[in-house]
Amino acid sequence: MTIFARLEQWKEQGTISPEQYAQLSGLSRREPFSLFLEINILLYAGVLAFVAGLGWTVSTWSEQLGDVLVLVLLSAILVACFWYCFSRALPWSPAETRSPSPIFDYVLYLGSLVWTVELTYLEKRFQVLSGQWDLYLLATAVLFFFLAYRFDNRFVLSLALSSLAGWFGLKISHWPSHQDETYREYALAYGLLVGGGGAILQRRGIKPHFLNTYLHIVANVVFWALLSGVFERQGYVLWFLALLIACGASLAWGLKRRQFAFVAYAAVYGYIGVSSILIRGINDEIAVFGYFVVTGIAMLVALVLIARRFGRQA
Amino acid sequence: MRIYSASSEEALRARKLLKDWASEGLVTEAQHNRMEQDTVCDLRTTNIFLRLVLFLFTLIIVCATVGLFYVGILSRPSEQTTGVFLLIFAGISYAVAEAAVSQAKLYRYGIEEALAVCSVGFLCGGMLMAFSNGSILAAKQQTIEPWVLTGGAISSLWIWRRFGLWYAFFAAMVFVVFLPEYWTSSHSARHLMVAGFYAAGVAVIAAIRSQHRFDYLDDDYSIAEALLWLGMYLAINLQLSSLSLLPRWLGGHGGGAGEFARSFYWTTWVLTWCIPPIGLVRGIRQKDRFVIAAGGIIAVLTLVTNKPYLGWERHTWDPMLLGVLLTGVALFVRRWLAGGKDGIRYGFTAVRLSSKDKRWMSVGSTALGLLSPSVLPSPQTSSNDVRFGGGDSGGAGASGDF
Repeated sequence: MTIFARLEQWKEQGTISPEQYAQLSGLSRREPFSLFLEINILLYAGVLAFVAGLGWTVSTWSEQLGDVLVLVLLSAILVACFWYCFSRALPWSPAETRSPSPIFDYVLYLGSLVWTVELTYLEKRFQVLSGQWDLYLLATAVLFFFLAYRFDNRFVLSLALSSLAGWFGLKISHWPSHQDETYREYALAYGLLVGGGGAILQRRGIKPHFLNTYLHIVANVVFWALLSGVFERQGYVLWFLALLIACGASLAWGLKRRQFAFVAYAAVYGYIGVSSILIRGINDEIAVFGYFVVTGIAMLVALVLIARRFGRQA
Repeated sequence: MRIYSASSEEALRARKLLKDWASEGLVTEAQHNRMEQDTVCDLRTTNIFLRLVLFLFTLIIVCATVGLFYVGILSRPSEQTTGVFLLIFAGISYAVAEAAVSQAKLYRYGIEEALAVCSVGFLCGGMLMAFSNGSILAAKQQTIEPWVLTGGAISSLWIWRRFGLWYAFFAAMVFVVFLPEYWTSSHSARHLMVAGFYAAGVAVIAAIRSQHRFDYLDDDYSIAEALLWLGMYLAINLQLSSLSLLPRWLGGHGGGAGEFARSFYWTTWVLTWCIPPIGLVRGIRQKDRFVIAAGGIIAVLTLVTNKPYLGWERHTWDPMLLGVLLTGVALFVRRWLAGGKDGIRYGFTAVRLSSKDKRWMSVGSTALGLLSPSVLPSPQTSSNDVRFGGGDSGGAGASGDF
């Protein structure tokens, strides 16, 4: 029975009104057909291509164009973008807010990217902060967090989170010794800071819909850090225990909130970590293949049970 | 031919539409609950994340089982014995995939998909090893490989038709790419053959799908047709598909006719301008999202590869012009559509109608924000030369450290 026959049946049974029938059967026939997604992808690609070209042009022609012209040009774009955003923005609300216009998010995104181009140009040409890149990244992250929360923009929130990650990474690059260990610790610190910050903001009701963005980034950063510790030849026990705790937390969160990406993180990262410990030093091929058959089946059964119990809904 | 009954798949499609309409507020919760009872079907589905993980673990189990068989039961088997057993495993994998659907009623569940994929992989590996002879390997493989590729393409197409897995259709297209290599040494003829295969595929699918415009098979045919348009274009566009031209193009220098006859080279250039509008118009006339997307992508590729094609110098501001063009087109289309009665012109609107679009935008904006190319230079740069770029290290200048 096609959807049209079903709609007809529901109309005759009185489940839906004739008006609903007309609307729903029209939508099923793609009348009208929405180009919303396509237009947004074009806008995103357009902004990205423009900024890529801008960066390329500035880096190639800066000497011919001269510092003044480059800075005036970049500042003009930057001011225009931010003027547009601040002048048209709706009053701030802690709840999710709609963009005042369809291009608003992309103008803000353009402004944010141009900001990074201009900042980079300034530092490279004039060394205002004597090569203290971490400070630039921190300032950029702070600005992007402000813009993301002021204008409710996920593009800029992602930029803020990756700038903050960059700041953590650059901060420790000044210390040459114990890199791996230090990187791991900083990755965990980043995860705790971002995850904790996101959770506090969500609890306070400030843009609570951003929490998922925080959690996905935090989960991946923390799991990578823990796994790198588990892969160490010595001193991996604590990292392994931490990985198990993280997997448990991710699994519990995923099941409780019906967010199965976190169940997937727990299953995959956990399996890799546990397998790396258990088959470490085993050279017998039969034992290794046997391990994967047995544990693979165990994981499959567990996941099927989860899927049957919880996972029918997307 | 299809392993699932039409009524079950139609019921699943109806459930998805109902869910979408309910989340958009087009039907009330009470209506949704009543109508959902009429769309009950016996197929077992799951969400995308569990599907991916189930696929992964099934793949691990199957591959480990085969490995265990070879190291545990067969000791140092000959190549042909290995091949024969791989063919047997292909048959077993396929039979278990069929059983998983017919007995356990799995539908896009990951498990049956991984088994079907393994069956194609084992079939190709098995054919290659079973019919080749170690002593005359090189010469023998020359005659075996086309059959392996043909077998891979046909079995992938079968999996696509039987289970409705779009990536099996893509795999069939990949197998086809390598076939002409065994039939002719002419590079031009190879490009023509691949493009010809895909063009024939577009014609066949266009003919078949006209009977399925609004039923459960429409999405399958839509994705297949979009992939064929993309494949046909890539086979024609020598700047993208020619292995000798691509590195030169990526290095910033346009590739010339070189290895191709001038007439062939310039004919392909003309075709790179003809195919995108044809694809776009067909997608728009059919109101087919995937074909419109394929048409849009190949139109952008034509603009990007035009200068290398003509051997013209590329300028640093070319991406800026492209960006302005894309943004301009988006704004023009949006304004034009919004100017129609109720924001609709010729059956198209710029307004969001589906909650799926909102979800895609939410996920996409997060992911694309993270993947934005880094425009801050690396901290190690010490000279006064300003070097932007990157792209492999997260957005807004994040280093690759995390």
